[in-house]
Order: sequence, then structure tokens, then C-alpha cells
Amino acid sequence: MEDEEIEKKVLAYLKKKCFLQTELALQEELGRFSSSFHPDVPRPESGALRYHDGYSKLRSWAYSSLDLYKHELLRVLYPVFIHCFMDLVAAGYMQEARTFFHTFREDHDLMHLRDLQKLEGVLSPQHLEEMELARSLRQSKVNIKLCEYSYDLLLQYLQKTQALTMLGIINEHINFQVSPGQPTSISEDADVVSLMGSSHEIAKQINQKEVHWGLLEDSLEERLERAHSDSEKVEGENKEVDPDENKKRSTEGGKQVVPVKKLKKDKVVGTLGKNVRSETSTVSMAPRVKAELTLPVMPTEAEQSILEDLRNRVQLSSLAMPSVSFYTFVNTHNGLNCSAISHDGSLVAGGFSDSSLKVWDVSKIGQAAKTFNTQGEGEASENELLLGSDDGKRSYTLFQGHTGPVYSATFCPLGEFLLSSSSDSTIRLWSTKLNSNLVCYKGHNYPVWDVQFSPVGHYFASCSHDRTARVWSMDKIKPLRIMAGHLSDVDCIQWHPNCNYISTGSSDKTVRLWDVQSGECVRIFIGHRGMVLSLAMSPDGRYMASGDEDGTIMVWDLSTGRCVSPLMGHSSCVWTLAFSCEGTVLASGSADNTVKLWDVTASMKPLRIDDNKTGGTINRLRLLKVLLTKSTPVYTLQFSRRNLLFTAGALSKC
Amino acid sequence: MSIVPKETIEVIAQSIGISNLSSDVAQALSPDVEYRLREIMQEAIKCMRHSKRTVLTADDVDSALNLRNVEPVYGLASADPLRFKRAVGHKDLFYIDDKDVDFKEVIEAPLPKAPLDTTIVVHWLAIEGVQPAIPENAPVEALVPPSENKRSEHNKDDGLPVDIKLPVKHVLSRELQLYFEKITELTVTKYDSDLFKEALRSLAADSGLHPLVPYFSYFIADEVTRSLNNLPVLFALMRVVRSLLQNPHIHIEPYLHQLMPSMITCLVAKRLGNRLADNHWELRDFSANLAASVCRRFGHVYHNLQSRLTKTLLHAFLDPSKAMTQHYGAIQGLAALGPSVVRLLILPNLEPYLQLLEPEMLLEKQKNEMKRKEAWRVYGALLRAAGKCLYDRMKLFPGLLTPPTRPFSRSNGRIATSSLPNKRKLSGSQPIQQPPLKKLAVDGPSGPMPSVPITANTQVGAEGFPSISGDSGLGASSSSGQVSNESTSGGSQRDKGEDRATMMSSALTQAWKEDVDAGHLLASLFELFGEAIFSFTQPVEMSMFL
Repeated sequence: MEDEEIEKKVLAYLKKKCFLQTELALQEELGRFSSSFHPDVPRPESGALRYHDGYSKLRSWAYSSLDLYKHELLRVLYPVFIHCFMDLVAAGYMQEARTFFHTFREDHDLMHLRDLQKLEGVLSPQHLEEMELARSLRQSKVNIKLCEYSYDLLLQYLQKTQALTMLGIINEHINFQVSPGQPTSISEDADVVSLMGSSHEIAKQINQKEVHWGLLEDSLEERLERAHSDSEKVEGENKEVDPDENKKRSTEGGKQVVPVKKLKKDKVVGTLGKNVRSETSTVSMAPRVKAELTLPVMPTEAEQSILEDLRNRVQLSSLAMPSVSFYTFVNTHNGLNCSAISHDGSLVAGGFSDSSLKVWDVSKIGQAAKTFNTQGEGEASENELLLGSDDGKRSYTLFQGHTGPVYSATFCPLGEFLLSSSSDSTIRLWSTKLNSNLVCYKGHNYPVWDVQFSPVGHYFASCSHDRTARVWSMDKIKPLRIMAGHLSDVDCIQWHPNCNYISTGSSDKTVRLWDVQSGECVRIFIGHRGMVLSLAMSPDGRYMASGDEDGTIMVWDLSTGRCVSPLMGHSSCVWTLAFSCEGTVLASGSADNTVKLWDVTASMKPLRIDDNKTGGTINRLRLLKVLLTKSTPVYTLQFSRRNLLFTAGALSKC
Repeated sequence: MSIVPKETIEVIAQSIGISNLSSDVAQALSPDVEYRLREIMQEAIKCMRHSKRTVLTADDVDSALNLRNVEPVYGLASADPLRFKRAVGHKDLFYIDDKDVDFKEVIEAPLPKAPLDTTIVVHWLAIEGVQPAIPENAPVEALVPPSENKRSEHNKDDGLPVDIKLPVKHVLSRELQLYFEKITELTVTKYDSDLFKEALRSLAADSGLHPLVPYFSYFIADEVTRSLNNLPVLFALMRVVRSLLQNPHIHIEPYLHQLMPSMITCLVAKRLGNRLADNHWELRDFSANLAASVCRRFGHVYHNLQSRLTKTLLHAFLDPSKAMTQHYGAIQGLAALGPSVVRLLILPNLEPYLQLLEPEMLLEKQKNEMKRKEAWRVYGALLRAAGKCLYDRMKLFPGLLTPPTRPFSRSNGRIATSSLPNKRKLSGSQPIQQPPLKKLAVDGPSGPMPSVPITANTQVGAEGFPSISGDSGLGASSSSGQVSNESTSGGSQRDKGEDRATMMSSALTQAWKEDVDAGHLLASLFELFGEAIFSFTQPVEMSMFL
């Protein structure tokens, strides 16, 4: 009566919308329902059993199918499995859902362990609503690529066996992308079936957006190179560029007065043609973009010292490996949460779970304690704010202010400021010159997991358990931008070298790239199987590396949004990643007590050539060197401007 | 249906004062409790990751509860991970081992030391990609796992898998403890008593000593490093090692890695004993034989045992900066390993080494009598080692010997005669040189391998060169004179000497080859050692003579 009306309406709707298969399924089901209207088996029993039987039949069919197409068909199983389970839960068959889950979970443990662990806890329809993973899975469709024949096989099977439950699930939740020709190779599978919260469609749309990954025009590196090429030119040809150079000299000399912007324009006009020439270095190959943020003015002395560093930079390659200096924290009593090293390696900061932040001046460590002692006391009497020196023996400056474990710290490029983020949901700015707290930035609602200074200083970005990332400037106590979109905690954050983008890694296993100016998400990188713990951007701004809790490192091409190659090698969490200054070597530090050096040039170069081809040749980056520490997990890596690698970690008792 | 059974819910409800919870409610609560538990764990794991740890602690759970605005569970926070124990008779029921603490003890206990403050230690992890071998870096090659694991495996009583990582208490019977104390006391204090000899006999034969082996090996290793300048104790310790090795009831293999360093120390240490009169040579010989016997016995089980030993010894032997005593130990140790080791490792290095050694043995070059004496010791050891090797070769290839020796002995004779006047001059002009030699000859028989030097001495005397070294009759002295002649005599002779030197060095470097002519070897050795080497060929010549 009433039911029949509804059924009719539904059928009519389906007809109108041309949902042929669903209609078929519904009719079939209805027929079955009416035919067995007076069954001896109670309905709930059969309902639960339908899922169980249907899935197990589909599974055995897929496993016994043709070898060539098997891996494609097996891919279908996982979404079907998950949705069967969730359907059962939604319908209230708790017990049956449990048994179903445990009977078949083994198949998918290898690929989707973490998701399964989460879903295992779903025990009532409410939980489905509450858990973001389940919710997004229910709402979105999974894309699966199949070749024509596999698709035919699947359809034939479903129709022949009248497996309507399965057909229903497949229709509802899977979106087949049927491609003509041969099935895709197995190696490509890995990231295809990672079921993400956000649907692939959205990710794809987002990834269509344009990303200007180039470097800032008029960076110091560029200036140095230009100086080089100029001098060469001067030597080679007649003194043609002499006036130009003179002009530069004069501008450089009088920089304190001249505003930077003007200076920049001068340079751009003067050196438009020269970019082409200096293609020897990797950095200069990157296209130039304009900065969307107003950049802070750099003091001349600092600029001079940086230029000096750049001139003395050691060129690293697979043959010339970096020297690595290791700062070991001892007697931390398991309390060290994070560490940071300034760009010149002279300052080392550690954030502790007892809310304290300690800063060591490495250049003073070797000196006699006494001189340091008296110095400290004198300062203390002068300055009340100097908290560190009430006890003269301390070798460090103690910064107190946070009221929860300190989870991250970062030095500004010139080392005079230090930022720390804490579980008390604040970020604090400290001055290493005055040894005191300057600002407390409040904005996040939950623990702030990570904070990073921008490459030019002044601006910084933070990310938090509240699933947002925020961009701040030092002079404002409110955030400038809030980036929302991640489906779970945002665990790490990194600036793009040109300061126009930030990237964030999250517990939802994705990495996103955000436009700082517009606050939009411009890339979603899908492929990690665990929470993303560390990020690094290559100095030419084209590539990004991300490390997760399983020990996998992925290198992404920002412009295509694709994974260049996954790097397997670490056996535990990758806490930190760093590119060398010219981008030839990637260093990774992990909880498995190793620092690994990867050759980045080896695989990038060929890739640039066949960039246009979509053929997915995964060429792995070469592992150059494994440096074993003495039971010390590596927390921080930092290449100095001269390409010396500083690393830090806390000695853990074995 | 949920992993939290409804009985648990009822128990919890009772514990917070709800006694009449209906079973329906419990049934409904249990899945939600499980879900919340999982949620808390998920957050706790995030906190753990952000604290850069891989072990979950109670603190992490507390901060996870904090994130969810729940009161933390108090009383469980600790810096160390909690230790769970498995309940007996249950497959997956764990509890936290919470020991009863005596209130009085806590009050009376002295205040604990203040924890050390955090500091930073800087070192080079790598220099241009190469890891320097400094103590701050992890060792490049994985070390042998410590014996602790093995011990716990031997003695674990109940196979509870959770408890394996906890320190296993090693139960020793009272008697064994007494025995151990007694033996160690005897070793350190009454090493020359009859009781100690009895103790050694007991160590070598008693069957129930196995539980003590780790303690003994630790004691020996510890005591050797401690009493390096107490020779008698060292000797006693080595005797204990020998007894332990002899005992057929002891499974000593797992402890060898602890014992070997002690033996090698007693073999190649720079100084053993603190008095001049201490006869450390004897200890070195003793340890050399001990180490060699270990290699023979366990070499097939641990393939790298002998190679590691020889590497250590060869290193000591070839390092000119090492003291003579160390060289002596190294040579003795290598010689004890058998003639083939000598042939492979000592002979190729013999010639350059003798050139280094020679000035040490001469009065005018080395004024320190002690050092000179040591050099002569080393020389004796070298001679013995080379001679034994030669003897071995001759035994293997008796046929090879005869034809080539003749011409060579003839030429040798010529060289010997040519050097004769010089020699006379030498010994005549430097009568002071003799006393140490004599002393050496007296010392000789007291050594553990007295037979070889003695035959050497007497044999040289019988060979028919009595005129060369008039009073002592020690062949070595003549040869030293001869070698020194080669380097000091006039132009023509030096040329000849150089020719010979190249020839013989080639013969020596070839010595490792299986089919090398024993005669050539003999010849070259003769060049270096002079007639003394003939003593080792004696049995063969005798047989030929017969």
C-alpha cells in the first residue's frame, strides 16, 4: 500500500534518471522480497547473511579469476568490503558486522591496516556519523581504474550470479574508470586504491589549479650568481657591463637608504637577459616569480654575511658528501619533544615536555664555565626577565612561559628570534639577544603541533590539532590567514622557498599545498599510508619531500601533484627531512637511529626529459649513505648556508 | 560483540557506586566504551608522535584525555614505560606489577641524587660522508651480543613471553656462592699455596660449576684489567682460565669472547708486573699456548676466532712503535698457532723486521741494557718460530732438501768465514755484550718450551763452528754479527749483501706458497739467522746421515 507507492515512485525516479542497473537491482530485489514474503528464515538473519555470502562469493571469484586481470579485480574487493561492513553496522547488525569484519580483514591488512584499525572501532550507527573517516567514506565514491575486459568480467559475474547486494554496493560507491586495452601494471596499484576521505574528484579538480613554483626574483643566490657571470663577462668581453655593475655596487653600498622594492626593479630591468646564461646551477633553472607578501628588509651586515656564506658553499653531489655535525642531548629523561638549530648552527634549542624551552649557544660550550657564569649573573641582576641564570652552572638559557609540553621550535633565518609552539595552544616569540619572551600568539584552540618561520623571516606558519594551519606575521597577534580543509590534525608545516605557498602534512595521510595570499588549497598529495610527520621543499621550489610514520618518504612534483618516487629505507618514523642548499642531496632523520642521504639529482634529471609522458615510470631515488647514530633518534636536520649538515637528537637509553 | 564484555561494564559501574545497572544498559554501553577507548588511543598516539617517541607512555594518554576535555587518570605518570605482567592462567589478561613498598624503607632511604641536567654533546657524525671511528658514533661492525641474553635464556624458569625483557634474577645456590668466593679469594691472595693448586684441579674436573662460568669469566676479565702490574695474580688468573678450559663439563663457548681479551692482554700487554725481576716472559708464553689451544678447540665453531686473534697479534707485531715485550708476545702467540701461521704471517715480514730489530740488539746502538735484553728475547722468539716452521717444512718435503742445501751451505760457509774476522773483532772488542747473552742462556730453560733453544745451543756447538762464538756457543750471537756486517762492511760486500737481500726477500715472500722449495727457505733463513737455523734441520740431516 504505502510501501508499494514508495516503490513505484522510486522506480519512476530511477527510470527518469536512467539509473538502469540500480533499477534492475531494485526490481530484482523487490521480486525476491515479494516471492519470499512468507519465509521460514527471519528477515534480519537473511539480510546479514546476504552481505556475508555475497562478499565471500565475490572474493573467491576474484581470487580465482585470470591472472592478468586478477589484481584489478582484487582492487574492487576493498571498497566492497568496507561498505558491506558499514552497511551492516548502519542496519544495526552489530554482531554480524563484527564477524564479517574479522572473517575478511586479513585480505586488506597489508594495504589498509590503519584504516581498518580505525573502522574496527565502529560499533553503532552513531559512530558512523561521528567518525570523519567513516563519514567521508560513506559520502564519497571511490575511483577504480579497470581495463575494459576486467570490467566486462565483473559485470558478467554480477549479473550471472544475481549478486544484487554486491551490485548495489558497487553501483553506489565505486566509480569505474574503464580504459581500453591492457590492464595497468601492478606496480602502479599502490596509490590508486588508497581510499581517502576526500574524493579523488575533488583532489583532481584542486590539482588542476596553477602553481607558480619558481623562486623569488632577486634572491641572494641569484645576485651572487649574477655577480659571478658578470665578472666572467667582464673578463671575457670588453667592459661592456661595467656601468651596470657600478650601479649595482653603488646601490648595494647605499642600501640602508634605498627601499628594497625600488632596488629590485632596478635589478630586474638590468638583468633580464642574464638569467638565460647562468643555467649551470640547478637553482637558477627555476623560473622567477613575484613575491605576493611584502618582504622584510634585511640588514646589510646580515646580507653580507649570507653572501659570504654563499660564496664559500661546498657543492654537494653523490660524490661529494656533506659533513655532518651531531648535537646529542643527554640526560633528557625522555622529556625532549623537539629541537631546532639556527642556520649557522651556533644556537640549538630544545623543547621539553615540562613546558620549558632551553637554548644552548654551541660556540660557548667549549669555553670555561666560569667566564660564562659571571657573565650570566651580571645580566641577571640587570634584567629581571633573564630567567636562565639563577643557577650559575647552567650551560643553557632557560625560557619559561608555556604551560604545556613544547612541541615545536624554529629559529628565524638570522637567528635573533625563536618561536615555540606548545600544547597550551599558544605560540611564543622569544628573543635570543634579550633572552626573554616578546609575544604570545593566541589563536589556535588546541595544541599547536608545528611552527615554522618563513625563509625570509617575519612571517611564520603554524598548524594544530584543531585541523587548521595559520599564517602569522611577527607584528600582529592575530593570524593573517587560516587554512582549513584537512580532515584530521595538521601535523607538520613547511614554507615554499618563494614564500607564496605553504605545505601541510596531516594525520588524514594527505599533504596539501596552500596559497598564502588567497588561503586556498592548490594541491592535494595523496599516497601516504600513515600520518605525515615531516616535510621539506627543494631549494628550486619544484619538489617537495614528505615523510610518514611508517618510514616512507615521498618526493612530489609540485606542478603535477604527482609522486616522483617513494623512498623506502627507514624502518620507523621519519622525524625530519632537509634538502641541501643546491638541492642535490636529501637528508632524512628517523626514529630508527639513522640519518640517510639520498641522491636527488639521479632520478630528477631523466624525469625532466620525459615529463610530458604520462607513462608512470617510478624510478627510485638512490640511497647514498646511511649514517648510524649511537642509539640516538634523529629529531632535526638543518643544512647551513655553506652546506654543512647539523643534526640533533636525544640519546635514548637502551 | 564488543571487545569490552558487558561484565566489565558492570564491574566498572559497581566500582563507581552504581549497583543496579541493568544488563541492557551494560550491553548498550559496551560498544560505546570500546569506541571511546579507541578514540583515546588514537589521540594518545598522535601525542606520542609529536613527542618524537615510539613508545606510548601514560603521559600521552593523559594528554589525549586532556584533548577530549576528560580528567586525566592520576597516579600512573612515570618517565619509564609501564611494565605489564601477564596474569597466570589467562591468555590475554595483563596487570601492572605494583610492588608493596615498605613505608619505613621509603622514609629511611637516603635522598636520591639530583638528576643530571640536560646538556648538549657535539661530535662529527660524518666528515665528507665518512663516519669517523669515535666513541660517540655507533660501531661500524655489530658487536657480539653480550652474554646476558644467553644467560637469561639458559636460566629462564617459566616461559612467560612478557617477562623476557625484564632482568632475570639468577639464582645461585649458597654452596656455589661460597665456592666462587673462595676460589676468587685464593686466586687473588694465595696464588702460590697448595690450596690454590687443589682449587685449580677442582676447577678442571668438577661437574657442577657451569652456573658459575659467567661470574668467573667476568671476574677474570675484571681482575686482569685491574691487576696488570701484579704478575703473580695474572699468572694465577691464566691458570684459572686453563682449568676452566680443561673442564669437560663446562660449556665455555658463550664466554670465550669475554675470556679471549684477557688472554690477549696477558700475551701482548706492554707491561706485565711492576718489578724488573718479574718473569713476564713466562706468562706470555703460557698465555700464547692458552690462546692457541682455544683456537684449536673452538676454531671450527667460530670461524673468525683465529682470524681475529691473528689479526690482533699481527697488528702488534708489525707496529714498530710497540714495545719489544709486545712484539715478543705477538711472535709467541703466532708461533703457538702453528707453523703454517708462522709461514703465512711471520716469514714474509721477517727480513724488514730483523733490520729494525738489529740496532736494538747492539750495544753501541742501544745503551739501555734492559731494552737490549728484550730485543735479544724477541730475536730468540723469532728464531724459534722460524726454525719450527722450517722444521715442519723439512718434515713434509724431505726430498727437496738435500740437493739445494749443499751449494748453499757452501756459499754460506764462505759468507760465514768472510764475516768471521769481523765477528771476532766484534766479540773481542765488546766483551760487555756477553753477560746478557749468558743470562739469556740461563733464562732459556726456565721457559715453557725449553727444548728448542737448548737443542739449538748444543747443536750449534756440535755443528762444528766452535771457533766463532768462543765462550757462549750461542749461534745467535754469530749471526747477529754477520747481519750487522752486511750492513756495515765495505762497498763490494755491501753490493753482494744487497743482491742477496733481494734474493732472499723474494724467497721469503714466496714462502707462503705451498710448493716452495724448502731449501730456498732454509737458505734465506740462514741469511737472516746464521747457523742457528741449522739446528732445526738436524733430524732430517741426521736421517740422511744415517
